[in-house]
This record gives sequence, structure tokens and C-alpha cells, in this order.
Amino acid sequence: MEYTLNVLNIKEQFYTRRGIYKALNGVDLQLKKGEILGLAGESGCGKTTLGLAIIGLVPRNAAIIEGEVLINGRDLIAPLREYASRNSKKFNFRKSENIIKKLNQQLASIRGSMISMVFQDPMTSLNPVLRIGFQISETLVTHQPEMLAKRKLARSRVTDIDLRDMLELLKNGADEKAIRVFTESKGLQGIEEQVLNIWSRSDLGEAKKEKMIVSLRSTKLGSFERAILNGVKDRRGMGGWMKIPGLSRLPKSILFKEGYRKAVELISTLEVPNPEEVVKMYPHELSGGMRQRIIIAIALANNPELVIMDEPTSALDVTVQAQILELMRHLKQRFNTSFILISHDLSVLSEVCDRIAIMYGGRIVEVAETDMIFKKPLHPYTTMLISAVPTFQTTEIKGISGAVPDMRDPPDGCMFNPRCPYVMEKCKIVNPHLGEVEQDHSVACYLYGD
Amino acid sequence: MIIAARKLVKHFEIKGNSVFGKPLRLKAVDGVDIQVKEGEIVGVVGESGSGKSTLGRLLLRLLEPTDGVVLFNISDDVLAKYDFYIENGELDRAAAIEKDYSIFLKKGKKLREMRKDMNIIFQDPYSSLDPRLNVLDVIKEPIQATGYMDSDAAFDRCMQLLDEVGLPKDFAYRYPHELSGGQKQRVAIARGIATLPKFIVLDEPSSALDVSVQAQILTLLRGIREKYNIGMLIITHNIAVISYMSDQVNVMYAGKIVESGPKRDIILNPVHPYTIALISAVPGKMIKSNRIILKGDTPNLVDPPSGCVFHPRCPMAFDICGWTTDEIMVDMIFLVYDKYADKFSDETVVSISTNNSLIVSKADEKKLVEIINLEKGRMKSLMAIDRVEKYENGAELKIKQYQVPKMYKHDGRLVSCLLYAAGDQKP
Repeated sequence: MEYTLNVLNIKEQFYTRRGIYKALNGVDLQLKKGEILGLAGESGCGKTTLGLAIIGLVPRNAAIIEGEVLINGRDLIAPLREYASRNSKKFNFRKSENIIKKLNQQLASIRGSMISMVFQDPMTSLNPVLRIGFQISETLVTHQPEMLAKRKLARSRVTDIDLRDMLELLKNGADEKAIRVFTESKGLQGIEEQVLNIWSRSDLGEAKKEKMIVSLRSTKLGSFERAILNGVKDRRGMGGWMKIPGLSRLPKSILFKEGYRKAVELISTLEVPNPEEVVKMYPHELSGGMRQRIIIAIALANNPELVIMDEPTSALDVTVQAQILELMRHLKQRFNTSFILISHDLSVLSEVCDRIAIMYGGRIVEVAETDMIFKKPLHPYTTMLISAVPTFQTTEIKGISGAVPDMRDPPDGCMFNPRCPYVMEKCKIVNPHLGEVEQDHSVACYLYGD
Repeated sequence: MIIAARKLVKHFEIKGNSVFGKPLRLKAVDGVDIQVKEGEIVGVVGESGSGKSTLGRLLLRLLEPTDGVVLFNISDDVLAKYDFYIENGELDRAAAIEKDYSIFLKKGKKLREMRKDMNIIFQDPYSSLDPRLNVLDVIKEPIQATGYMDSDAAFDRCMQLLDEVGLPKDFAYRYPHELSGGQKQRVAIARGIATLPKFIVLDEPSSALDVSVQAQILTLLRGIREKYNIGMLIITHNIAVISYMSDQVNVMYAGKIVESGPKRDIILNPVHPYTIALISAVPGKMIKSNRIILKGDTPNLVDPPSGCVFHPRCPMAFDICGWTTDEIMVDMIFLVYDKYADKFSDETVVSISTNNSLIVSKADEKKLVEIINLEKGRMKSLMAIDRVEKYENGAELKIKQYQVPKMYKHDGRLVSCLLYAAGDQKP
């Protein structure tokens, strides 16, 4: 079985003044293509740390002492692990910082294109002094300049007759494939997504759509600009000579302008009203729900393999939360992307996730399909977590006595043993490993065998 | 009634926003009636910015209202009399009752006396405890400040309270930073019930806490209510918490209460379109059928929608819900310039002529009627167009007068929606 994401036995520690904080203690996680995995647990159980470790975002006092993060077979955090395993006795912040800096450079081409992340607070994760369109096109220009150049060139090359032909095809009920074949035969790759996007918009009338499609053709493209655009390639970024200060301005400004057009298309698929106006706005002009949509648009801009969403709806109102969850359900069908959804709210996860993993004390204690987690929770912690949430039906809710363990000095054996009602002698000595008890239902508890 | 508010209004002035120096006003609470009986838990639920926290603060006189009264510790007969006087315009008699019971007219010693009987527990236990006071001082403060007990008795009372909220006695000399979130909230609860008040406002008591701790805190609060018969007003955005805790539920939207009644009725069988949408939006496996996704966001309270405040987002809105020429103009512009651009000439102009009419110049009125009838289902605002008349070379759209909903009695509750205006029985 080929996995999009394969996390193998990852262990992360933080070196603090008051001792070593063991944040992750051997997490295994597999994610298939197009799957949504939920990550739940109390605060302090390592959900966010795991999410950040997957995309290699670690603070300088952190050491990943073991484990691999494989995305399509590529090991992302190898340098960190190697450093930490060599220097397990004496940890040096300065050296660690240098390693992280190097890692950041290596991962720059992957972050935002293969994996991207949506952070919790939509109010603070957008840059307040840049326009929405700029922030979306920034990621496009960095990772896919060639695609933007192609779009622009295709628009200059296309003729009115081609556009009318395409319109005719669409009106006769042609699907995406037919349009793609048509543009390829004419050598106009890059125009089809623009046409299709306008056609699939629900907020415009047919007459307006036709007008917009026909007016896609642009004549204003000088031979100099054309030469520049032809030279833009993904691998080399902007091309070597364009890195010279001053000279790099020109292609960049052309690409950013094109990025704005692409941004309109992106956010119109996320049901943002008036996308043409919104790209010219600044973040403070938008409401929380709209901002979260923009952030999701940035995360999805380059069709990543994996999107990690850290509490995407916790800062939003219930009705807006419902909008965003509805949107995620659409996105799952539309883009073939895998999602990791981190939340402390099991009911939010139950809405959109295929599978749910419950974390406790830096470990995954139970993984199963969403229905199974609710119908037949096995681990005592899962059971207690579910019964602690008030719902419309419950008349009695039970808290979990005790607190999350201090991970500087974690209990021996199973992390949950001080709070567990079914604790046995064995639990206090050796930690149970995550084993499959039924098909697709794994649990780490001695109640279900070793 | 331990507390009863009538027509409570709070407008905040926002500085320097208007052209002619007249300050803009944010209508945070706009004409709210609410009451809490002895030993009853009343829930207020709403989205952020709906004015629920402001309401809580007004009831304790932590804010001075713009208008309205809050009557404290008033017997049911007197309150009924008061309502009767207000309804029949016998204002001087009503004023006499206000003089005795209104918390906004109390002064000096009487006000301090009253403070003993009410308290508030805040949302964020991390910032509501003074970091320089230890737990003992935190709990002692309201006991001594209100003159409820003297210093020695207060110490014993503190120990008793710590036991009550489930904290060990040696916590008395700890400082807030040494406590976890749940423990801090327990200390805040101990402080809240220190003087055995008759009325407590719980402002989002559990939303800063983890689910496992939230369950403990809610159970504790319910236990305290049983034991001391304290009237509580619980303010939260979490409907599940409301449904677990409260006896009565009030749903707030944009500074107004839209539905109010017993919990069982409202949670299981909501009738106001907003309540229906709000309850269906709660995530979870339990109620997945017919979810209503509201469009848009909560309105700007500086300039709230006319008529019913909910009408721009309401899935059931109809012709007299409060549509104004501005709203219709936005939709007409979309129809004329975008959606049906091919049916109108380029010189067509949509403009507002009077309060209740719009003019579409250089357009055929028959075509307009056709389009309006076609789009009525999707664009609710078009329903408010009464008739289309010929006007010079264009057409004039006459708009129906809207109505402002009052609280109507329906099926054992009060609901502020014109859908239920017809079946209103006089309360």
C-alpha cells in the first residue's frame, strides 16, 4: 500500500531549563491519498507538535531523536534526526539553530507546494499590510511561476474563434476532459482552467460568463515580455539572470498580476462572494470566516499532497464553523488531497474525517474509522473523552479526574495509568504498543491483549 | 424573580467616524427583556458580537445602560403589576416600583448591600485572578469588601469554600500561576459564591477549558445550584453546554433576543429560523439531517438591518421582513448588469428615487417583471417589490412597507419572528 504520508516512530523532545520535555514519544501514522485524518486529544497531548514536526517546523530547543516523516517516500527531517542522535548527551542550541536554518532552506520548495498548513487563528495568520491577492499569488509565484507564465502566454495566443469554439463545446455539455483535449490540440495549455473556472461559477449569469470568456483574449504583450515569460521555468525559479536586483522586478510584476487572476479563480471555488473585489482588499476588511477561506485558498493553491489544519474552526462561530466544514467536504471531493485535521473537539472531527486518531501523552492511543470511534471506543481514554462532551441527549457528563501528565517526568508504562479506572500492574511498568485488534482499528491498551 | 430586565438598551459610542461630528453608536443590546427566578439557570446563547456579554454586565450594573430598567429581588406579583402599569401607560406608578427595585437607582450603602447578592464568574480564569494575590486573598476579597464577614470568620469561610469547590486546603497559600486552568476556574467559582449571592452571571465559564475539565466545572456548578438555590445566568456560544446546564434558554442575535422559552422546547423544537439554523449547525453525529447553512456573517451593529435584524441571512424571509431600497438595489444591479446583461441596454441605470421606490431607466417593465418573478425564489429581497409601474422610458419598482417583529407567544415560548405574528395570543 502506497501512503501519501508515513510517520514512523517519531520522538521529539524539548530541552528546557526545567528538564527535558518529552513531547512526542513514538508516533506512527499512515495517511492514504485523499483521506482526511482527525487528530484529537486534550491540550498538551502533542497534537500541534506532531503537526508541526511533520512539516519540519521545530523550535531551536527541540530535538527529533528518532523517527522518520516520509512524504511520497522522501524523508523530510533526516538532518534533524542525525544531529540529535549524534549529540544526545550535550545539546547545543546554537548548532541546532544552524541545522534548522539549513533544513528550512531545503524544505522551502516543499512547504506550500507538497505540504501546507492552516493555522488556528485566522485573525493573525494573514499579513495585515499586504493585499489578499498578493498573499495568494506569493505562493503561486514561488512554486509555480511556469504555470502562471503559461496562462499569460496562452491568453495572448488564443484567438476569438478558439474561445467561441470552447464556449460552443461547453454549451453542448462538454466535460473537463474534452476542453483539455481541445486546448492541447491547439497548443494552448493554460487557458482551459481559466475557461472552466469561469464556466463553473455559480454566482454569475450565463450572459456575463460568455462575455468574460470571450474577453479572456489579451493582445497587449510585447515581444520583450513574451521572451521573459518563455524563460520562466519552475525548477530554476525565475531563471538565473532574473535574480539580479532590479532586473527581477519585471518578470515578478508580470507574474504577480497573473497571480491575482489565479487568486480570483481559487477563491471563487471556495464560495467567496465578489472574488474580484476581495483580492484587492486587505485582511482587516474581511470577517473571520472569509479570512479562514483565504488561508485555506493559500494552502490549496499549489495542489499539495497533504494539508495540515490546526484547529481551523476553533476561533469561529458555530454558524461560520458549519460553513467551513461544509466547504471542507466539497474540497475533499474536488481536490484529491489528504488532510490532517487537528482539533480538541471530537464532534467537529466526526463531521468530516474518514479516520480519527486519539492522542495522549505524545502517543497515539487509538486509531479507527470515525464511526467506529464513536460506536465502539476501546481505549478507556477515548471512552472518557467522548462521555465528557455535553450533547443534546446527555443528562450526565463525566469529567476525567486528574490532569495531563507533566511530560518532563512522565509516568512509567502507559501514560494514562494514573487516571485510568481499569489500571493493572502491567500498565505501570511497560508501555503497551499500538496494535490492531480489529480490521482498521488499532488501540494501545493491555485490556485488549499485548 | 431574582432579577428582571425590561427594555434594556446599551449603545456604545464609537469615536470620530462620522462626517458631521455626530458619534456613531454601536447597538450592543437593543431592547431586551429577560428574567431569572430564584434557583433557576437561564442560558443566553448567541454568536460572538451578539451582545450577550454586555447583557450580563448590564444585569450586574457593571455597565450603565442607555435605557431600560433592571429590577432586583422583586416578587412575581409586583413584577406583574409593573408590567401591567407599563402596558397601560401608568408611568408614575411604574416609576414608584422602579424606585424600590431598580439596580440603577440604588446608591451608596444600598448599592453595596446589593453587591453582596450578585456576582460574576468570567470566561478566562488566566486573567480574571490577580497574579499578586494568593488564593486565600482572592477568595477573601469579596467577603470583606462587601462587609459580609469580618477577617477571622472570613478565613474559616475560605477554607469551607475551597472544600466546596473540590480543592485541597493547602491551596490557600498558592498563587494563581501555580494552578492549572481547571483549578483556577474553581478558585474563581469559590470567589463567585463567597458571599452566598442570590444571582450569579457565568460568562462563558467553561470555554477556555479542556473538555475533560469543562465537564468537571459544569458538574460543580450544577451541584452548587442544587445546594444553595442560586439563580444563574449562563452566557455561552456552546449550545450543548446550555442544553446541559439551563432550565430556560434565550437565543440572542445582533443585540436582540429572538427566541426565549423552556430548554426542552427550544433545543428539541426550535421555531425561529435563526435558532433552527444555529442548532442544526452544531457539529456531531447526532443530528445530521437537514442542516441549514446560513450565508454571510453577523451584521454590523453600528448600522443593523432594518425590520427583523436576521432577515438578510434568513432562509425563510418573506416580503415584509425589513427589505429596504438599498438591499434591493444591490440585487437589481447584479441582475441588470451581470446576470441578465444581454436583456438590457448598456444605458440602463438603477437608482433609488424615494424611500419605497426604485427606478430602472431605459428598461422594458414587462421584461423586468418576468425576471423578478423568475429570481424571487433565489433572491429574497425581490419579494418585497409590490408592483412594477411604467415610468418615463423605464420602470418604477414600488416596495412594500416592512414590519418590525415583536415578541410573539407561540407554542409555549416567546419568539420574535413575523412568521408567528398571526397566531399570537396576548400574553
